[in-house]
Amino acid sequence: MKKVSIWQIIIYIFLIVMAVLYLAPLLWTFNVSFKTNKEIFTAPFALPQDATFENFTFAWTAGKLGIATLNSFIVCVVTLLLSMIIGSMAAFGIARLRWKFSHLALVYFLTGMMIPVHCVLIPLFTRFAKVGLSNSLTGLVLPYLTFSLPITIFIMVGFFEGMPNELIESACIDGASIYQIFFKVCLPLGKTGLFVTGLMTFVGNWNELLLAMVFISDDMKKTLPVSLSKFVGPYNTNYSQMFAAIIIAIIPTIVVYCAFSNQIVDGLTAGAVKG
Amino acid sequence: MDKLLRNKKAIVIFMAPALILFTFILFIPICQSVYYSFCDYNALTPAKWVGLKNYQGLLQDKTLKIALKNSIFFLIYSCVTQLIMGLFLAALLTNIDKGRNLFKNIIYLPCVLSSAALGLLWMFIFSPKLGINQLLQKIGMEGPLWLMDTKGFIILPMWVIAFVALWQYVGQSMMLYMAQISGISKSLYEASYIDGCSKAKSFRYITLPLVRPMVATAMSLNAIGSLKFFDMIFNMTEGGPNHKTEVLATHLYQQGFKYFKYGYASAIGVLLLVLCLAVTLFINKVVKTEPYEM
Repeated sequence: MKKVSIWQIIIYIFLIVMAVLYLAPLLWTFNVSFKTNKEIFTAPFALPQDATFENFTFAWTAGKLGIATLNSFIVCVVTLLLSMIIGSMAAFGIARLRWKFSHLALVYFLTGMMIPVHCVLIPLFTRFAKVGLSNSLTGLVLPYLTFSLPITIFIMVGFFEGMPNELIESACIDGASIYQIFFKVCLPLGKTGLFVTGLMTFVGNWNELLLAMVFISDDMKKTLPVSLSKFVGPYNTNYSQMFAAIIIAIIPTIVVYCAFSNQIVDGLTAGAVKG
Repeated sequence: MDKLLRNKKAIVIFMAPALILFTFILFIPICQSVYYSFCDYNALTPAKWVGLKNYQGLLQDKTLKIALKNSIFFLIYSCVTQLIMGLFLAALLTNIDKGRNLFKNIIYLPCVLSSAALGLLWMFIFSPKLGINQLLQKIGMEGPLWLMDTKGFIILPMWVIAFVALWQYVGQSMMLYMAQISGISKSLYEASYIDGCSKAKSFRYITLPLVRPMVATAMSLNAIGSLKFFDMIFNMTEGGPNHKTEVLATHLYQQGFKYFKYGYASAIGVLLLVLCLAVTLFINKVVKTEPYEM
């Protein structure tokens, strides 16, 4: 039998404590979201006496989380698709096409990672108001897309540079045009990368609050993180409804994460290790 | 082949959409923001050049001083704690065989969840009569007013927020360090064990130096992330009590979209941008080393 060292046991105990510290708040939220407001104050840690879905139905309908979820979904999916197409095209142009300024273009895109979104908030807000893009989902997609491009391009450049030259050469000899090479050879080969960047774009934008809060004032067009804040007021916070709302907001990302956690992690590290 | 890859029209078609978006949604607005920061500009009047007036205003703004102090505290705190905790967790996780993925995924989980939602959750946990204080009450202790105490140079609410931010984002640093550590050749460790190194020693003399390039990457991500930090503070304290937990990002939002002082808010934005660039350059100069042969 393999000897279990005392250090291994200590490490495991520490990790289990960490895991509890991470899961307890989430599980507890889940538990509380089925309670009445009174129960939260009297028996905060017990299981709910008679579990009720009322909080969820209230949050979903009266709190307009249903429509907010739909808005978030539309914005995120459109952004994800566009960023995959536009980003991988630019990445291909940088990694494979031969032109003088390709490196400069990459640097230009990568500086975007260092720029906080706050700095463009006011100019975008005033300009979007002028051209009728404020208070519309399109007005959210444009900045989301732009801020998703640096990481998409960064990761996809890595993928395209790693592809063997022979593939492109043989496609070229077979008479393929550059567009066919991109769409029929390189893009299918880079689909792992696309998938990863797509996931990261989706998760990042699903959680975005600031832009959505500034650009959208119409209740019917608000996204999930913005609609959440309606559940807290200075005088009348209804905690059980707030908790149901929190659960509604985080369940989709938890589901996506559970299904694709390995790819998300790969994506994160794929980008960073090369940098 | 070469002709195909030098096709000017193709280059334009591939690059144009991204370049246009980037230029119009990011680059030009940044330039505009710099211009507005020299202007008297609010929701009612068009931008009017006033030179350095906004920046002079920044010097006299008491809330800005608090916000700057909090932002810098936050920056240093997250760089240091994320580095230590991230490396520590990464070292632990690379040393166990069973359940590595499980623990890794649990600790990374909050990184993908909405900070806005987690902010509400933690606001509840740290509120005066609920959450943690209910727990403390059970063992007969009275908890402090976690999010409302205003004593001290760095007030308690800032420590609480900084702790929650560490809780949420340490998974990201951990992941980056794990990736770097797993790239270190096993033969280096084996050689060190044969030479009689303990695990601690081989961590000190092999892992630490070889992980250094990633420290630069992870640290600049943390630094920029901490300067951008907004959602959680907004939902936990909204900058209160009495603007004591304001950071640059929340102050910018307040000035720009509550009081509609666009020019002034732009000046805060420029300050934020300069800080981001300076910190990144600094980290890359000081921390980054030439990559080793691995």
